[in-house]
Amino acid sequence: MGLIFIRTTIIFISLLLIMRLMGKRQIGEMQPFELVITLLIAELACIPMSDTTIPLLYGVISMIAIFFLHQIMLLIDLKCRGLKTLVAGKPAIVINKNGIDISELKKNNLDINDLIESLRGAGYFAFDDVDYALYEASGKFSAMAKENKETSAQKSSIPLLIITDGKFEKHNLDLTHTTEKYFLQILEKENIQSLKKVFVLTIDGTGKIYLQCRGEKYKILQATLPKESVW
Amino acid sequence: MVKTILSIVISFSILIGICIFESIFIHKTINSVETALIQLETKTKMQTATKADALKVNEEWQNKKRILHIFVPHNDIGYIDYWLGEAISYIESKNFDHALSKVQVLISIFNQIPEVYSLSLQNIF
Repeated sequence: MGLIFIRTTIIFISLLLIMRLMGKRQIGEMQPFELVITLLIAELACIPMSDTTIPLLYGVISMIAIFFLHQIMLLIDLKCRGLKTLVAGKPAIVINKNGIDISELKKNNLDINDLIESLRGAGYFAFDDVDYALYEASGKFSAMAKENKETSAQKSSIPLLIITDGKFEKHNLDLTHTTEKYFLQILEKENIQSLKKVFVLTIDGTGKIYLQCRGEKYKILQATLPKESVW
Repeated sequence: MVKTILSIVISFSILIGICIFESIFIHKTINSVETALIQLETKTKMQTATKADALKVNEEWQNKKRILHIFVPHNDIGYIDYWLGEAISYIESKNFDHALSKVQVLISIFNQIPEVYSLSLQNIF
């Protein structure tokens, strides 16, 4: 039984480590250790239940070991702030007053599309609708709206992603009836020589552009869209 | 907070308690059957073993194995039943050479069981 206890502990710690390394994408509204327990407990209960050649005590001991580890984690959660950060992670502020924090996104294995999806899920459709946005340690997304956020009546269409990570989104160019040349001219006016420097560029139906270059604060630009650009 | 610490202490005590009990119980049970088997091995070597001797070992094993089922996978216990049955049969038919090999395999299995469940690096990984 000592073997089972030690083996359960090793698997628990390994799984927890893997979950933490995978970043917030893999965690859905649970602390990493809670997710690990959820993953393990079902298996531990099932194996001795279905395989009659394994003593039932093996399952019971594993579950007591999991309970013991859970209580230890709970204690760490309540009492040791440093260890808590190590075990559960910390919230990642992915949008601040300067725009998108690219390094925080990368640190949590997220890309711009994940961020857009989370924003939409929280009821925001443009990056400049929020002052702050963050992923909690549990992976839950929270956002703080801008005070002068446009109401839905003022909005004409959903902002579309035109450039991400220095690459054009061809599908969205077709949707907006615009061309790469059109946006390259806008970038040129902003003194941006290389497309690779652009982390994200979105445009909405009014021609409002959200532009953020790597290592710089975001800019809001106003462009005149071609007449046929309606979406 | 007190409840959490208390539950940690209780669950840890249960785990440690069961670990110690298991270790002592398996060693004690295995040793008693192994002693009986060694006696049978000696008699088999001398070709003086009788069916009654073999059945005595079997009786000892049958009494112990019931509780052993709680700690040892049932397949392992099944193998011992199988080998012991064969040994009894060979002793009954006075085929001592075959019986000796079966008894020696049983002794080897009984030696291995406590090792398999002991806390060691090779068992953990």
